[in-house]
Amino acid sequence: MNLRELQIDFQRALFDTECNGADWISESARGLSARNRLDIYYNAYRLRLIDVLLDTFEHTAIYLGDDWFNQLAADYVQSHHSTYTNIGLYGREFPQFLVEQLPQDKEVSELALMDWKLRRAFDGADSAVMTLEDLQHLASDETGIRLQAVPTLTLCTQHFNTLDIWHAINQEQTPPVVEGLLQPIDILIWRKGHSPHFRSLAKIESAAIACLCSGETLDAIGATLEKDFPDVDVATEFGVMLHRWLDDEIISVGFRNAE
Amino acid sequence: MTSGFGLGLRTEHYNDFLAEPQPVEWLEVISDNYMVDGGKPLAMLDQIRANYPMVMHGVSMSIGSINGLDKEYLRKLKILEQRVEPMWVSDHLCWSGVHGRNMHDLLPLPYTQEALQVVKHNVEQAQEVLQRPLVLENVSSYVEYESSEMTEWEFLAEICQVTGCRLLLDINNIYVSAFNHDFSPTSFIEGVPVESVTQFHLAGHLNNGDHLIDTHDHPVCDDVWDLYRQALLHFGYVPTMIERDDNIPSLPELIAELDMARAIADDVLNTKIAL
Repeated sequence: MNLRELQIDFQRALFDTECNGADWISESARGLSARNRLDIYYNAYRLRLIDVLLDTFEHTAIYLGDDWFNQLAADYVQSHHSTYTNIGLYGREFPQFLVEQLPQDKEVSELALMDWKLRRAFDGADSAVMTLEDLQHLASDETGIRLQAVPTLTLCTQHFNTLDIWHAINQEQTPPVVEGLLQPIDILIWRKGHSPHFRSLAKIESAAIACLCSGETLDAIGATLEKDFPDVDVATEFGVMLHRWLDDEIISVGFRNAE
Repeated sequence: MTSGFGLGLRTEHYNDFLAEPQPVEWLEVISDNYMVDGGKPLAMLDQIRANYPMVMHGVSMSIGSINGLDKEYLRKLKILEQRVEPMWVSDHLCWSGVHGRNMHDLLPLPYTQEALQVVKHNVEQAQEVLQRPLVLENVSSYVEYESSEMTEWEFLAEICQVTGCRLLLDINNIYVSAFNHDFSPTSFIEGVPVESVTQFHLAGHLNNGDHLIDTHDHPVCDDVWDLYRQALLHFGYVPTMIERDDNIPSLPELIAELDMARAIADDVLNTKIAL
């Protein structure tokens, strides 16, 4: 057996649904059998990846309880091979896996997606944050300013009281009974300083952030909001929003002039 | 070559290293933990690096893979290397997956001429990117292959000779593999080239009676301390660190364990000089 055949067969043995041993492993005179020796790697592979999922999806694991979470994690490990050198990325498809596995419990996948996005914000790209002075300076010099969100900014939409569930778990309290929301809400996730942050968004702010992320100028964002929220004092509301964005550190100093 | 004794930098001890100087001459960082885009890991790395020399230790290069090295991984490693300016860069003599899959484990290689050629090719590729000798660590293993044609130490000696790479000898891994495969740890120590050894690792393991598992979650045991004495007698002084990855104790407790390594090294090396 050459090295290529051995590595392919070893990998296949670890991916199998059960550990069946291999004839390319030496039987030794003392200690474990060849089959039990392979079993060490077989079990370690699963335990390591389940541990990563437990660490990444901490709130989801607490919500589901050890037995249920471990079963789902084991099923995920069996059906999803890692293609990442960074083991921390292994859970990327886990929220979608939960959508498919638990179609009647969609708050679970929403919780998992929130866990995932908060974890990714933790070590996402750095950027210099825009201050009020920076913005005032820009506004006096430029027209048609397009602001740029910090690279860790992301949104997720929730259809259940998942945010309340997350807060209860975080405070080591009993989670509330799951309830569908009358209207879905968008959750803004980003990193401020070294810590991932999140908050829910009103419809108008959600729309403004969507415009911001698609590269619209401040003037264009204002116009869009005027059109979509005719009953709102957009000039005032947008000004308040901009101040909050600066306080929250979600705007990067990188900006683009309108073309 | 640096002097002194080091520890693996772990997140649990960031504040200790930031709060006041610690009696540690250098730190080893897990490269993979800092090959990220930004955030706290890199901020902590930069702050602590300002006060301590560092070495970089990776777990994902997969130097023995028949598919060759991941160029994107090497690119990110090089970026980190330029940021940290480490004394040396190490990874393991192992493979972790093929055909785009990663098992995130340090899987042993068969010690064959064919594997030697694969490792040689991959080490040369890594050294070309890093522009410095790669340092390879011996892994703990639980299987041996029917196809092996030489011992692990003969393989290591050969790979050092043909590539100019260097060795990180994990004393605990020698002990664990020797127990699991019933070979003499002394033969291992005496079989690797003295001039290639750049660093020692010391760590704890789990004793399951008929086999040992390299868990890094226990203090160094007496047998491994004895093997460390043998290694010091054979190799002389080599930069040494305690590697703890799980069940991580307080920093003072780890430093007390590192002081045991210092005391043993003083004792062994002074006795050797006196003789």
